[in-house]
Order: sequence, then structure tokens, then C-alpha cells
Amino acid sequence: MNQFTKKTNPSEDGAGAGRTETPWVAGLIFKMALIMSIIFAAFYARVHLNDKTEQLAREKTRITEQIREKQTEIQTLNIQLAQLKSWENINAKIRQHNLALHAVNPNQVRYMKRFEGQVAAPSLYGSDTRVADTSAGAKQTSAGGIR
Amino acid sequence: MTLFRSMAIRMALVYILLICGFGYVARVLYTVQISRHCELFEKAQNTYTTRIETHGTRGEIYDFGGSLLVGNMPTMDIIGDPANIYILNKKDADKTETECRMIADFFEKNCENVKSDEIFRRLSRRSFTTKDKDGNEIEQDCHYAVIATGVDYQTAKDLKEKVKELSFHGIAFTSSYRRKYPKNTMLANILGLTNVSYDTFVPVQGIERSLNDAMTATSGSMVYERARNGRHVTFANSRSEPTLDGYDIYLTIREPLQAIVEEELDLMCERVKPHAAWAVLVDPATGDVLAAAQRPTFNPNDRATMTPESSANRLSELALEPGSIMKPFVISYALDKGFVTPGSIVDCEQGVWKYAGRLLHDTHNVGKVPVTEVIKQSSNIGTAKVSVMMGAKNLDTALRSFGFGQKTGIQLKPETSGIFRPLEKWDSLSVSRFCIGQGIAVSPLQLARAYCMIANGGYKVNLRIVDRIERGDDVRVMPVIRETKSIFANPTTKKMITDMMIGVTEAGGTCTEAAIEGFHVAGKTGTAQKVINGAYSNRYYASFVGFVPAENPKFVLLVTCDDPTVGSRYGGSASGPTFKAIAERTLKYMHVQPQLTKEQWLAERSAAQKALHERKVREDALVQARREERDRQLKAQQAKETTKRTGTSVASRPASGSKSNTIRR
Repeated sequence: MNQFTKKTNPSEDGAGAGRTETPWVAGLIFKMALIMSIIFAAFYARVHLNDKTEQLAREKTRITEQIREKQTEIQTLNIQLAQLKSWENINAKIRQHNLALHAVNPNQVRYMKRFEGQVAAPSLYGSDTRVADTSAGAKQTSAGGIR
Repeated sequence: MTLFRSMAIRMALVYILLICGFGYVARVLYTVQISRHCELFEKAQNTYTTRIETHGTRGEIYDFGGSLLVGNMPTMDIIGDPANIYILNKKDADKTETECRMIADFFEKNCENVKSDEIFRRLSRRSFTTKDKDGNEIEQDCHYAVIATGVDYQTAKDLKEKVKELSFHGIAFTSSYRRKYPKNTMLANILGLTNVSYDTFVPVQGIERSLNDAMTATSGSMVYERARNGRHVTFANSRSEPTLDGYDIYLTIREPLQAIVEEELDLMCERVKPHAAWAVLVDPATGDVLAAAQRPTFNPNDRATMTPESSANRLSELALEPGSIMKPFVISYALDKGFVTPGSIVDCEQGVWKYAGRLLHDTHNVGKVPVTEVIKQSSNIGTAKVSVMMGAKNLDTALRSFGFGQKTGIQLKPETSGIFRPLEKWDSLSVSRFCIGQGIAVSPLQLARAYCMIANGGYKVNLRIVDRIERGDDVRVMPVIRETKSIFANPTTKKMITDMMIGVTEAGGTCTEAAIEGFHVAGKTGTAQKVINGAYSNRYYASFVGFVPAENPKFVLLVTCDDPTVGSRYGGSASGPTFKAIAERTLKYMHVQPQLTKEQWLAERSAAQKALHERKVREDALVQARREERDRQLKAQQAKETTKRTGTSVASRPASGSKSNTIRR
């Protein structure tokens, strides 16, 4: 049944017709309002999130900058440390303070026994236990390191 | 009707106009959105998109234990923006000039090597003329004027604060870094150096050059959409390519050993005043270069100290005639293949021998001696005779098996492979000269490697100076390349040649100065004439090479003096004491226990001395007896002749050692 037939039907005129129109408009307004509020909420959430993201990004930039600065300071200190640890500098200090230092006598040195399963650290004193390949087949390494 | 008609016409016109209008809009939209979309989108994007390049740092160089040898020193460059200074001073030329002068004076006072007038000149240049794409001259604003580069980070930070306080306009501080060599001259020739060209490091020599690819950082980039204030819009599209720092290099060098070698080399230079000197310490088991030093050297932090003499890497680039330090290779091969035994007697012809039409001399007269004495007394003639006995082919095989004529495999570029002619190009003299280190040129590293082969029992090992490269968790260890098959077929060869070389540092040997209390030192001296302009000169390379402890070597050490000018020119006297000093300190550093107690060692020394004395007495007696025998024979012969002529017998010739008043006729 279309609108035209509905309007011309006398049995549907009067109070009954008014009652059917009101919920339809209210429903539409409600639905529109709901949709609008959802859109608004989504929009607001997006803006809020963006703002939060921005804030965090700024914070990140600030912290990154701080880290970079600290790393720069560490690098500078590392260079200074290396300069202080150089033999040239140590020798100068020994002479300056007239320190009667001498190398240790090998007889004074005792080595701890390595426990089973303990891995040897690379030795500063010569051959270590590195595994390696060779051009002519398997390689042999000399035992050494911390004994 | 007319009205109606005109109405219809007007309506039709409006429709047509509307249709045309919509058509035009549709066409423009089509052009903008579809046909020129990419081009216009890119144009738009460029206005709000920023691309920044990020640069990593170059890898650093450490010794084996992680002590920094080459690092990156953070610095800052101070840049001025002349056009901006002018604009921020409201385009007032006088005010701008005053500010530029103040800036220039400020930086002259606070920075090194900065001239006020020069800075003022740069800051005053607000624009410059350039050419556009079509070749027309155009005026452009100048936004870049260097005030100072490589300013220390802390100084630059303080300056930044002061600039802020003084409210100078248009001054920017940009981070950069430069290579710093905190140990100054230590290992300078091996580490090398870099130059900087347009913010890029250009390696010049040494490890910096040979491992440049590994150490170079990979640049990254970040493309992001920016807001009006230039900030990164984090919720918009962005993409980035990561920046990778270069690999850090860990060398096989032990810094304490390097310091010992450098210090002793300096002392040797003071003592014998050579033209140049070098020393290299190698682990014979792995081929690890533990220390390598040379003089003269330079300080990479101060380019004024660089000269062609001081910057050359002699250890890998120099090829020199080694002299007598070649002898053990020939003798060991002869022993291994059974051509001789340690006791085989060789006639050293009392110091002069003619071979292939040319005379060969020894520095001191040696008669018939066992092969052991040939090495101990470093007889050229004895070695040449053994070599001739072996033949040219065997000599060629012997020297090539010790790696001569080949590179050592060390990670240094350039590296010479020396000069060692192929067998077919040898002349008749070669067999008697190559064996004593003449006519062949080798690098100090080749020599060190060849001695490593003697020390480790004949296993060919490539030299290593880079132990590993690291970048975070990415660790790559450079393998030890060592052949599994010994070049010695006879397992006793190593012991035989080592015993002969121990004799060199014992009484009667050519280098008793290198003997170390409590240890057997196996070594060999070498004194080689320098070839200058194609001829042998009166200048010498005085070398000593050896390994300690002889039976279980912890290291091979080569010390060479190029043209010692004070004291003896012989390898034993010039380089021997330095070898001893370095070896003693190295043994202590390595905590190597002495093999013998002081008493045992002294007893061995005095026994060797006694044996030498007895041998000399025996030899003198033998020589005396021979001389007397010869005189007696001569006398008898002369008497016979006189009797034949006159029939009377008279003394015709003075006896050996008799005084000049003996009756003559």
C-alpha cells in the first residue's frame, strides 16, 4: 500500500494517524543522534589519540636526544680513558712519581685449575682455542689460554 | 507563444551552459584526479614531506683485549647563516655588520685556529651569484658559512650556551665526529689513517684502508609528513631505512706487548742510530701478530709528523735481501730430505770459495766443520755447498715451501710477495746465492711466517692481524688458516734445526747477546748488504730472528736494524740485545716459567764455553801440527834441491816463527 491510498483511506484518519508518525520521526532523530555521537566519539577519540601520539613522539624525541647526548659523552670519555690507559701516559706517571715497579716473576704466578665444563676465555697471552677452518682441510689449534 | 518560446530557448541555453560547466568541471576533475594524479600528488606531498638522511658511525679499532686503538671523537661544526643574520636584524646593514663583527670576535676568542677577519668576511657575504638551469646568472641567498669545524664536544656545548645567552642570530651547531688515535704513535703504520672529504671518510692506508668496507657505516633515511611548525606528524605516513654502524675491528695485537716492542725499539734506535728499524712478534701456532712496530713512525693525530719515510708500512710493503737469516730454511730442508745430517762435515774453505766463476766469502775463516757449526758460525760457504749439493730444484722447492714468493695472508694492503725468480730464470750463481739470502727479496712478515713454520714443526700458517669483527651481536671471527700437513717429512727435523739455532746464542755462536737466563733461545743472525741503485753498498740490514722457549715456542720475534750507524753493523750486535730485551719482557708478561734454574743455565753456558775452548785448542793444535808438517816437508824438499845443486846441505829457509837473523843464502 502506498502513501496515496493510505491518505485516502478514511478508516485510518484521525488520532491513529498521528500516533504512527511521532515514533517514526523520534526514531529517526534518535538514530541520527546516535550515529552523530558515534562519529563524534570516534572523531574525538582519533584527535585525542593523535594528540597523545604527538605528545609521546615529542617525549621520544627528547629522550632520544638525551640518549644521543649521553652516548656522545660516553664516546668522549672512552677516548679519554684510552688516552689515560696508554703506556705512554702510564710510563710518564711512573717516572713522575718515581715508582719502583717491576714485572712479575713467572715463578710467582700460579694458575687455577679449570673445572670440568668451564669454558676457557680467549687468552691475552698467546695462542687461544679458536675454532677455525683451513684452506687445506681441518685445522688444528694449540691449547693455551687460561690454564 | 513568443514568450513561451523565448523562455524555452533561455532554459535550453541555461541547460547547455550548465552542461558545459559540469563538463568542464568533470574534465578538470578527471585531469587532476586521474591523468595528472601522480604528478600533482607528488608535488603536494613534497610540500609537506621531509626526508632526512641518517648516518651511522664508522667502526672503531681495538686490540685483542678490547683496548681502544682508533675511536670516533664526537665534535661539532659551527655554521653561520649570513642571509638569516641579515633578515633577523630587520635588513639593517649596520646592525648586521656589528653583529657579524661581534660573532667573529667571539669565536676567535673561544675557538682554536679561528681568525676574526676571516669569519667576518664569510658572514658578511649574504648572497652569491650562480647560474640557473638555463645558464642565466642569478643571485642567491647564502645560508652556509663555516665558522669552525671539529670543535671538541664539551667546548662546543659551552659555546652553544654562550651563543644563546648573547642572543646571536643565525648560528647553528651540527654534530660530527673525527677519527682519534688515543695511543698516538703506537701501531700507527699498521692502523693507518683516514682523510675526510665532504663528510665521508677516505681511507689512506693500513687497517683503515684494508678493512674500510667493513668499518664503513650504512646510511639510512627517514621520510615523514611534517606539520606547519616542521615537526614530524607521527600519525601520518612515514617510512624509514635503518642506519647501520660499521663493524668494530678487534686486532690480534696485545697492547702491553706492543708497548714493550715499541719501547725497546726506541732504545735500540738511541743505541745504534739506524736509518730505520722494525720488529714483529708472532704467535707461531696461530700466526697471530702479537705486536708490530717500526721506526721512524708518525702520529696520526698530527699530520705534520707524516713523511714518506715515516708513513710507509715497512713490515708488509718492503722487500729486502734478508742475508744469513735464510740459512736455516735451506739447512732444515737438507736435513729433512737426508742430504746432510747435523754431523756431516762441510769444508768451508777457510773463508774463500770460487763457484761459477765468482768468489764467495765468509766473514771469518771456517775450515772443515759439521753442519751444526755452519749455522752456528753462519758460514756462507758451508750453506752454499749444502745448497749446491741439493741442487737448484730442491732449493727452489725448499724456499717456496716456506712461503717465499707468496703473500702471508695478513689482512693488510698492499702486501708485497717479495722477489723470488721462477726456477727457469735462475742463473748458474743463483743456487749458491739464494740460500744465503742474496738475490732474493722478502718482506719482514714473510720472514716471520717462515720462522713460525720452523717453530711450529713445519706447519704452514697464514699470518693474522684481525681477530674478529663485531657489530652488536653480529660477531665474525677470522679463522686461523693453518695447513694440517707439515712440510717436514722427518719428525726430528724440527729438533735438529732448533738445536743448531740454539747454538747461535751459545758460546761460539754469532749472537751470544740474545741468550736469556733460564731459557734456550733458538735464533739466527743476518747481516745483509743493502742494494742501492742496483749495486751492493756499504750499508747493511742487521737482523736477528728467533723463538723462545726453543722447545715449545711461545713467540717468534724478528728485529731488524736498517743501516746502524753507531757500533757494530752485525745483526748479532745491533739487533741481538733488543731481541733479548723484548723476549725477556714478553716471557714475563706471558708468565712463561723458565726451563732451567739459574745454576743449570750457568752450568750449560760454562760447559758450552769449555767445549768451545777445547775445540779451539784442538783446532789450533791441528793447525799448528799441519803448519809444522808443511814446513818440515818444505824444508826437506829445499834441502833435497840444494843437495842436488851443490852437494852440500844448508838451511835455506827460516823456520816458521823464527827470527829474521836466520842465515840466508
